[in-house]
Amino acid sequence: METVALVIGIIHIASAIALLNGVTTTFGQSRVACQAMESIARQPEAADDIRSAMFVGLAMCETSGIYGLLVSIIMLFANPLVDILMSLLG
Amino acid sequence: MNLNIDNLWVLDVAGTEIWITETIFNTWIIMSIIIALAIIARIKLKSFKLVPTGFQNVVEIIVEVFDNFATNALGKNLSYIAPWYFMVFVFIFSSSMFSIFGLRAPTADWATTFALAFASFSLMIIMGFKHQKGQYLKSFFNPHFVFFPLNLIGELAKPVSLSFRLFGNMLSGTIILTLYYSLTPLFVQFGIPALLHGFFDVIFGTIQTYIFVIISIMYVESAAS
Repeated sequence: METVALVIGIIHIASAIALLNGVTTTFGQSRVACQAMESIARQPEAADDIRSAMFVGLAMCETSGIYGLLVSIIMLFANPLVDILMSLLG
Repeated sequence: MNLNIDNLWVLDVAGTEIWITETIFNTWIIMSIIIALAIIARIKLKSFKLVPTGFQNVVEIIVEVFDNFATNALGKNLSYIAPWYFMVFVFIFSSSMFSIFGLRAPTADWATTFALAFASFSLMIIMGFKHQKGQYLKSFFNPHFVFFPLNLIGELAKPVSLSFRLFGNMLSGTIILTLYYSLTPLFVQFGIPALLHGFFDVIFGTIQTYIFVIISIMYVESAAS
């Protein structure tokens, strides 16, 4: 019982660590948005082009954050290692 | 709403089990709505006039806006595949609108998004071979044949990242709304979730639809030209 509790606790800590990449993802996205704002302020007539390029850039940055989310969801709800541990413990 | 995808019933076809899940059922509902709208538009097409009014206005605006967008992104000589992207756009957009009603969006299932992304990936390869012929195969060995494994992995990662992006965004909205519905008492479940639905379904759904379409258009465009 103690081993299972330890493993489940470690899984929760690990999924929290996996979600920490949101910090860097948000930082990158803020850089993209900041630069886009700056260039729109400099050239308001090119706002539409800049906005569509900004959305694509934001989506590209967001991918790593989404991967972290998926990793933590898989670790919490569909972890294969827990099943192996359960079958080992009987 | 549920975190798990429920299995509604099991069909037995020639010894193999076919599971009809919530995703498939919701997809059928969306398909029937879209097909009904398309048939109505097709019937009304006969009575369209030179000066548009009412229903004709709406149809013309939708088609014209998307046609301009696709022609700008794809270029003149590739714009004949724009109808496929219009279908993808309408399907993803209506499935994110579908979850406003508290039902599970089909795009919150990886199978749906991977099917769409894999179709885009196949389209990319077909368009590459059609427009560039041998040059497309040669682009895998660019700049040197040592880079072939890297290029191959880069190509194979495209449908995976495309599908995970849409799936993760839709799933995060579903998870947060499920948590809200299951953790709060009943008297705050009126009115306040409308804001959350507006943010996660309408705004995120629209942005992610746009991004899915523009990125798959970029893939096809870079493969074909």
